[in-house]
This record gives sequence, structure tokens and C-alpha cells, in this order.
Amino acid sequence: MSERKTIELPGLRGLVLSGARPILAVILALVVSAGLIWAAGANPIEAYAALLEGSFGSVAALANTGVRAAPLLLAGLAVGLGFKAGMWNIGGEGQMYLGAAAATAVGLIPLPVPAWLHLLLAVMAGFAGGVLWALVPAYLRAYRGVSEVVTTLMLNYVAGYLVSWLLHEPSPLAEKGAFYPMSPPILPSAHLPILVKGTSLHAGLILAVVLGVVLHLVLRYTAFGFRTRTVGGNPEAARYAGVGVARQIFVVLLVCGGLGGLAGVGEVLGLKLRLFDYFVGGVGYEGLALAILANGNPLGVILGGVFFGSLKAGASKMQIVTGIEASMALVIEALTVLFIIAIGFGERVRLTRREQRKSRAEEGVAHGNELHQ
Amino acid sequence: MEMNSINSWLQASVRLAAPLMLVSVGGVYTERVGIVNIGMEGMMLAGALVSVAASFFTGNVVIGAICAMMAGGLLAVVHAYLTVPRRASQLISGLAINLVALGLTDFGYARLFSTERARVATFPVLSPPEWHGVPFFGPVIFAQPVVVWIALILPLVSAWVLYRTSWGLNIRAVGEHPHAVASAGLSVFRLKYVGVILSGVFAGLGGSALAQAELGYFAPNMTGGRAFVVLAALVVGKWNPIVVAAVCMLFGAADALQLRIQTFGAIIPYQFPVMMPYLLTIAALAGFVGRTVPPKTLGVPYDPESY
Repeated sequence: MSERKTIELPGLRGLVLSGARPILAVILALVVSAGLIWAAGANPIEAYAALLEGSFGSVAALANTGVRAAPLLLAGLAVGLGFKAGMWNIGGEGQMYLGAAAATAVGLIPLPVPAWLHLLLAVMAGFAGGVLWALVPAYLRAYRGVSEVVTTLMLNYVAGYLVSWLLHEPSPLAEKGAFYPMSPPILPSAHLPILVKGTSLHAGLILAVVLGVVLHLVLRYTAFGFRTRTVGGNPEAARYAGVGVARQIFVVLLVCGGLGGLAGVGEVLGLKLRLFDYFVGGVGYEGLALAILANGNPLGVILGGVFFGSLKAGASKMQIVTGIEASMALVIEALTVLFIIAIGFGERVRLTRREQRKSRAEEGVAHGNELHQ
Repeated sequence: MEMNSINSWLQASVRLAAPLMLVSVGGVYTERVGIVNIGMEGMMLAGALVSVAASFFTGNVVIGAICAMMAGGLLAVVHAYLTVPRRASQLISGLAINLVALGLTDFGYARLFSTERARVATFPVLSPPEWHGVPFFGPVIFAQPVVVWIALILPLVSAWVLYRTSWGLNIRAVGEHPHAVASAGLSVFRLKYVGVILSGVFAGLGGSALAQAELGYFAPNMTGGRAFVVLAALVVGKWNPIVVAAVCMLFGAADALQLRIQTFGAIIPYQFPVMMPYLLTIAALAGFVGRTVPPKTLGVPYDPESY
């Protein structure tokens, strides 16, 4: 719908980023936030400079951005894939809890296997945990026609409480006599490797980026991807084309759940090294914002994830330098989404109006011709 | 349980249900006009902060509540504008409003009360203390602050408006068949605007009740998904104001039970009663608890030119 505004990157066939809209939204969000920062009595330029320094200014800052981006990326992909099939996976939060819990459970057992296999098993368990959590919404959506929006949203809270229960004694996952509900430390053999010594940047980021690229290729070049996009674009047409729509929806939502699970896995196996009560804290919803910003495109999710990650990483530096609270990062994220819809639908309304004018003009011409004949 | 703890549980149930019931009053209207408003969570949160802030600076709870309703209503205007004439995705708009409210309340709270947690007045309890001992009615009604009374009365008023007035008929018709409403010469957009704005106003009031029925302070993200519980109650209560309010009461009772288990211990883990609302909603949607028929055009944008 906005062909004129797309940027075609040379040499990468098919890598089309409909960049104008998100970039404009980000700029508007930054401008409005600058106004807020100014109103709060700080210098916006100084604040943004500190934010940049805190997110890209040093190796430690870059690593911090990567650490923040990793779960956002996976949570964003978990929503984005669903987007492409016309599904709303709001359950990222819950899938993260379950994925993390499953990975922790495997990570706590001293298995008689090499370390890489232990890690692989823990990661797979996390994926399975997410899939399991998406099972009921996926089944209800695919085969019973129950909207996935409400079911996935509701299950987020169930997941939070369920994991909380798992972390309270007498559960085997609970650390005895802990000051805050948490699991015992995960065995080192199940830890995700650290990428840069002296930082907490872990391999979860690589996993997220690789999965993003793979997802992009799958959506674009495979039969599965084609079926997914057809179902998302026009389910009726998909049915005529012989696509098993219900089955496709079912599978896509399960994979979404798995990706959400992996977002939780990275947090426990790479960063926190324990499962903590209520550790997700809204990342699932931020992933949703990210997917909206990227319009569900996996590569866009990667770019947007780095942006969101840098906001979160730089915000603490901004707070130290200017006294502007770190929650400003969330305000910027939220305003970005708000502007995305405001711009996008403005575009659509203008387009429909133009089409209508055009068709009316054509009708008029046709009508006129009739009169003259 | 002995009499005393039953009384305190009843009292806590009603008090915890009151914010939900207030939000649900507006929730019924917005969904009846066909607009899903997930943003009620953010409107409630904004209401809570604005209520506390306004009470703090004016010293008057009622002004706090009114400001909270205005704040919620203002956010609802944004939602209505984006979803009604602009036909944006109701989900995305609501989500964005939630995130904006979460970030801004966090930010605003830290800005306004940076040094200490501001304590403000709570809603007054109007009935004389000797009535509070009356069995059942004492804890459930008399010992409750005035905002809880409002929460108990509003669903009844709302049901009367919805089912007994012609304006209520219009509201119900818009969600079912907007084109018929338009052919009757009524403004679909205006009715939809009113429905959505009402949901914001009552979400704001619900936030005010949450912060000032008993606590008297604001805490970041203090709503913690309560408006989502209301969305659940709308499904389970089938969009009937009184049934929805009753479901909210049930959810409040579960919440109160959870607190009691956490304090005194019990055989069941405290997490289980609070899961109940969410699981019940999924069961209701799946068709295990009777049939739920949402308003026909719920979530579908109204396009006056396509029919």
C-alpha cells in the first residue's frame, strides 16, 4: 500500500523494508518525549546524548544493549510470526514464564551428558514449554473459532501464578529459605555461553538474530511460509488454494508459543541463571509493541529490537546524568506504537479517499461517454 | 472459619471487587458499541495516579475522583478517535495506550513524589460505626467507603439505562447492527464515541477507587492487570451489567481468599484462587459455561460506506 515509500536495499533481493512509517513514528516519539523531558526540567539533547552513550558508547554499553535486546527480539518474533498469519499472540508473557520454567527444570538436573547437550536439552525444553502454553489457545482458535486474543492474554496471568507456585516451597523448583521466591542456581553446564568476557552478553542474542533471519527466509521462500502468508492475507483464498487453514493456524500459533518460550529461556540460562518469581515484567507486551513497529517482519523485528534494547540500556545512564527516570524508555516505546497507528491509518484513509475519487472520476467519465454517444 | 474471619473476608471481597465493578460498568458500554478497549488497564492506572495527585494537592478525595474520571476519559478519546473514525486496530490502540499510561504514570509518579510515598486521604465511610457489626450487611455494605456504594449502585443504574431507555437501545443496537442505526438517522460515530469515553471515565473512577478506597497511595503499575480481569468478567457475564458486576464480585472474593491464604496458610496454594477468573474466562469462551454471544460487530471497525 505504500510502494513509493519502501526502501529496496541493493544486492539483497526481497529484503524490502517499508521503512518510512516506522522511522517517522520513531522520530515523532523522540520529539514528543523530548518535550516531556524538557517539561520535566532537563535538557533533551543532553538526555538523548546520555542515552546514546549508555547504549552504544562503549563495549559495556553495547553489551548491555544486546542483553536487553535479546528477549525483546524473541518475544517480538513470537508475535510477528503470528501477525503474518493474521493471528494475535498476546501470550508472550506467559510463554516466557513457561519456557523459562521448563528450561530451569532441565537445567537443574545433573544429567550424565556433555555440557553442550545439556544446554541444548534445556533450550529445547524451553521451546516445548512455550509450545505447551500456546496449545490451548491454538486449538481453540484453529478448531473452535475462539479468538486467540483473549485466551492468550488470560493465560499470561495463569502462567505468572503457576510459576510463582512452582517457586514456593514445597515445590522441587524452589530454593529453600530464600529471601525472594526463586529456583536454585542453574547448573553451569546448562548456561548459555558469554560472548564478551567481562559483560553479561550471552549467546541468547545470537540465537534470537539467527532465528529472526531463519524466520524471514522461511516466510519468504518455503511452502510453509507461503501458506502462512496466504492464511494471513485471505483465509478464503487460502482455502480455495487447498491450504488447510485450521491446521496452519494451529501450527503457527504453536511455533509462536515456542519462540515466546525461547525468550524466557535466554533470560534464565543466559542472564539471571536462576528462575525468579515474576521475572518477565512486561517484556512480552514490549515484544508486541516491537512486532507492531516492524509490522511483523522478522528483519524489522531485529532492527526494532536493537532500538528498544538501546532505549532500555541507555535509560539508566540518562537517569544518572540528567535525573530523568528510566521509565522514559517505556514512554518512547509506547509513543512509537501510538504514532505507528496514527500515521498508518492516516495513510490508509488518504489512499482510500484517493481511490474513491479516482473511481468516481472514472465512473463520471464513463457516464459522460454514455451521454455523448 | 469463625464468624470474625468470615466477616473480614466478606468485607475484603467487596472492597477488592469495587474497582473491578466500576471498570466493568464502562466496559459493558464500550463493548456494546462494538469497540474492544484493552486500554482500560492504562486508563485505570492513569486514574489511580491522577486521583492520588489531585487529592494530594487539593486535599479533597472527590476532586481526586473527578480528575481521575477526566484523565481516563481523555485517554478514551484517543482510543475512540483512533478506532472509530480512523478505524485503527482496537487491539493495537488499546495496547499502545496501556504502554503510554504505564510509562507516563511511572515517570509522573517519580516526578511528583520523588522524596517520599505521598499519603493521601481515603474515601470516607459514611455509616455510623455501630452499624458495622450487623451480620452480613455490616461488612458488605455499612463498613465500606462511599466509593464502594457507588460501585454497588452503578451496575443497577447502568442496566436500567441499557435495557429500559431508548438511548440504551441505541447503544445496544450500534454493536449489533450499526447500519440499521445509521438508517434510523442516528449518528453511529457519536454513539461509539460515547460508549468508548464512558469506559475511560469509569476506568478512571475504578483506578481512583483502587488507590483511595483503602490504601491512600499510588504505586507504579498498581492495577496489575485488573482491567483485564474485567474484560474476562464481560465474557463470563455475557455483557449484562448486573451479571458482569456479580462476576466481578466473585473475582473479588477469589482475590480476598488469596490474601487470606497467603496470611494464614491453607491446604490450597494461594496462587490457585487468583488463577480462577482467567481459567473461567477461557472455559466460557470455549463454550463450557453456557453459550457466550458477544455483540455482533465487536472489534469490527464501522465503515459507513461499505455495506
